[in-house]
Amino acid sequence: MGVDVAEAILTADVAEDQFATLVDALAANQRSDALTALLAEDHAVYDQRGTAAIVRMRGWVLLALARGALPPGALIFVLEELDTGHDGYLVAAAARALRACAPRAEFAPFVMRAISNLRFRDDPVTFDEYGAYATSPDAITPVHELLATLAWLGPLAREIYPQFDVLRTPGSGLSKKLLPDLERTLEAVGPPSPSASARLAVASSASGCCDWSRDGFLTWPFAARAPADAVRATVFQDHNGETTTFADFFTGQPAIVAFFYTRCDNPQKCSLTISKIARVQQQLADRGVADRIRTAAITYDPGFDLPSRLRAYGHGRQMRMDAGHRLLRTTEGIEPLRRYFNLGVNFIGSLVNRHRIEIYVLDAAGRIAATFRRIHWNEQEVVDRAVELLNGDGHPDAASRDSIEQTRPEPPDHPRAAASLLGTLASLGIAFFPKCPICWATYVSAFGISSLVPIPYSPWLQPVLFGVMALNLAAVGWRGRSTKRMTGFALVAAGALAVVATKLGAVPEHASLLGVALTMAGSFASARS
Amino acid sequence: MAKKRRVVKRSKSAKRKARAGVPTQSARAALAVATSPRNTVKERVAAMSAATLAVCDDDQGLQTMLNLLRDRDEPIKVRLAALASIQAASFSVVAFESCRSDYIATLRAVMTDPDPELRQRVLGLLAREKDAAAGKRLIDGLENPAKALVPPEKALQLLGYDPHADVYKIARRMVEKPPNEAARREALRLLAADANSKGVFEKILRDKTEAPEYRRISASALHAIAPDALQKLAREIVLDSSESEDVQATSLTAISQFGDEAKVSGDEALLKRVTRLKTAPSAKVKQTAKRLLTKYGR
Repeated sequence: MGVDVAEAILTADVAEDQFATLVDALAANQRSDALTALLAEDHAVYDQRGTAAIVRMRGWVLLALARGALPPGALIFVLEELDTGHDGYLVAAAARALRACAPRAEFAPFVMRAISNLRFRDDPVTFDEYGAYATSPDAITPVHELLATLAWLGPLAREIYPQFDVLRTPGSGLSKKLLPDLERTLEAVGPPSPSASARLAVASSASGCCDWSRDGFLTWPFAARAPADAVRATVFQDHNGETTTFADFFTGQPAIVAFFYTRCDNPQKCSLTISKIARVQQQLADRGVADRIRTAAITYDPGFDLPSRLRAYGHGRQMRMDAGHRLLRTTEGIEPLRRYFNLGVNFIGSLVNRHRIEIYVLDAAGRIAATFRRIHWNEQEVVDRAVELLNGDGHPDAASRDSIEQTRPEPPDHPRAAASLLGTLASLGIAFFPKCPICWATYVSAFGISSLVPIPYSPWLQPVLFGVMALNLAAVGWRGRSTKRMTGFALVAAGALAVVATKLGAVPEHASLLGVALTMAGSFASARS
Repeated sequence: MAKKRRVVKRSKSAKRKARAGVPTQSARAALAVATSPRNTVKERVAAMSAATLAVCDDDQGLQTMLNLLRDRDEPIKVRLAALASIQAASFSVVAFESCRSDYIATLRAVMTDPDPELRQRVLGLLAREKDAAAGKRLIDGLENPAKALVPPEKALQLLGYDPHADVYKIARRMVEKPPNEAARREALRLLAADANSKGVFEKILRDKTEAPEYRRISASALHAIAPDALQKLAREIVLDSSESEDVQATSLTAISQFGDEAKVSGDEALLKRVTRLKTAPSAKVKQTAKRLLTKYGR
C-alpha cells in the first residue's frame, strides 16, 4: 500500500491492526512528518476509541519514530510523555524515541522525572509486536528504558547526578533487578564537576537536531490574536450552578483559563493543574490584582462534571471560587469553544480518552494572548503574562504583535525553499515569455529539436506567471516582517520591478536578466534567514 | 532470668529483622515446606501464610512463589494459597514495589489459566491495578463469549474499576439484550458513570413493567449523571397512584434528600400527595413520606 493511501485512510474507522501496518509503512518510507501528525490528541484516528487502545496506538507511533531520526516537531510529544505520562508503555516508548534525537543536557531532568513518576508502577512492557502485553519475568520495564536513556545521555546528564541517590536507597521503588542497570547508568553519567557542567552546557546547546527555541515548546505566546466572536455566545454553568456566557465572563478583564476534567486519573495533569491554578490565584492576590484578572477552569467533560462535582474538586485543591474565579462546564456551544482553543483532547462517548495540559491567558477582549501547553507550566510565568496584559499589553498594537511573532514556531524549511524557487521560476518565465505566436513557434522549435512534445501557444500563462511572482513578493515580505530582515524583500521587489519594467518596454531587454538574478538572490536570502 | 533475657533479645532481633525486611528463619523454613512437592497439599497450604515474610524480602523467595503460581502442574489449592501469600506480601508496599514487574507479568500469564477460580481472582487483582492487558481480555470476552475468561457480570464488575475502559457501548448493548439478569444489573451499575446513558435510565425508571430493582438502580444512576431529570421523574412517580411502592419510596427519598427546597416547598400538588402517602399501606412509603413532610414543616 502506498503511503499516501495509508495517510488518507487513517480515520476513526481504521482497525487497530490495520493502523499498526500503516504506521509501519510510514516508518519504512521515512514519513516522520506523517507519524508526528499522528501524535496530536485530536487526530481523527483516535476519536471514539478507549484509552487503552490509544495507548497502544500512540506507543506504536513513538516506536516507529524511534527507528529513524526524531523529527524536531515530535520532540515536544516525547518530552510531554516523559514529563507527565503515567502509562508505562507510552513512557518506555517515549524514552526509546528520545534516543533517536541528538543528546542534550536539557533532556536529563525529563527522564529523571519520568523515573520518579513511574518507579512505583514499573509494569513490564514489550515492544515485540503491536498490542502485545508482557507476561515474561524477563520483560523490560519503563524504568529500564529510562535508565538506558540516561546512560545514552552520559555526561550530559551530570546535572541530575545527585538525584540518583534517591534511587539507590532501599524503598526507592526501584526493582532489585534494575540495580545493575542503575550502576551502569551511574558509570556512564559520572559525578558532576562545576567546570565540566559549564563545558557540557555549551556543547549541548551547540548540538544539532532538536532545537527547542524553534519549537517554542515551553511557552507559546500568540501572535495575531483571533477575535473571540465565535465563542461569545458559549454558555457555561459554574460550580454554584449559575449561568454565564463567554462574553460576560471572559471580556472586560484579562483571564487565565485552564482545561481539566474531574475523572482524569493522571495526577500529573488535571489534579495538578487545578492545584496550580489555586497557586496562581494566590499569586494574583499577593500582587493585589486578584480582582482585576479572572481565573477559570473549564471541564472537558461537562456531561459528568456537574456543579456539585466541580465545587468538590475545586474545594479539594484549595481553589478560590467566587464571581471572578470559577470552575465552569459548557452547556451550549462546546464545539465552537473546542475549535477556538484548538483543544488537544479526544473523546469516547462523552468521556475524555486523551488530553494534553493546556493553559491560556486571554486579553480583555477574550482573545488568546498566550498559551502554555503539554509541559508543566510555571505559575509565575502565567501570572507575569496576565499582569503584562493588565498593564497595557492587552491591546494588539503592532509592536506587541511583532515581539510575539518572533517566538512563534517557524514554518519548516522545505516549503519556504520551494516557494522561493517557484517565485524565481515565475520571474524567469515572465522575462523570457514570447511576445507573439511566431516567437512562441521559434521557442518551441527547440523542443522539437529535443524530440519533446511542442507546447501550444498559451497567452494566458503570462498573467499566471505575474500572479506567482506577486505571491512570491508577498511571501518574502511577510517573512521579512516576522524575521525583521528585509534585505530579501528589497532584492525581490527590485527584481520584480526590473522584470515588469522590461515587459512594459520602459528599460532595455537585458534588464530582465538582472531582474531574474535579483529575484533569485532575494528569494534565497529570505529562505535562509 | 538469663534465659528470659535471651528470649526477649531474640524476639527484639526478630522484630528488628522483620522491620528491616529480613526474613526470619521460620519464614524461610515455611517457604521451604510450602514449595516442596514432597509435602502434602495440606502441609504446603498451611505453610504458605507463614512464608509471606520471606516472599518479597528475598528475591529467591518471591521468584519461587511466582514460579509456583505459574506452574499448572502444581495442585490448584497450593497455587491459590501462593497467590494469597503473595497478595499478603503486597501490603508491605515499599518492599513489594521493587518486585512489582515480576508480579504483574506473572498475574498476566496466569489470567488465562484453566482453573476458573484462580483466573477470576487474578483478573480481579489486575483489574484493580487498571491493567490494560486484563482490560483487553475482559472486553474481548464480552464481545465474543467464546473467548470469555469470566462470566459477563463479573467482567463488567471488574471493568468498572477503570472509568476509562472502553466498555460503555457494550454495557448499553447488554442492558438491551442481556445474557442473564446479573449481567444486566452490572451493566446498569456500570453505566451510572456514563453521562450519555441518561436516556437509558429515564426509559427504565418510567417503565412500570421493569423490575423495581432495575428502576431503583436507574434512579440512583440518574442522581449521579442527571439529577434534574431524576427530580422531574421522581415527582411524576410520587403523583402516580398506580406506581410501585418500592419505586415511590425511592422517589420520595430522592425528593426529600436532593430536591430543590424552594421548588418542593411551593409544590402544593406534590405535598398534598405526600400527605396522603403518610397513611399508605407500605411502611417504607409511610416512613419516607413522613420524613419529607417533617423537612418541609408539614
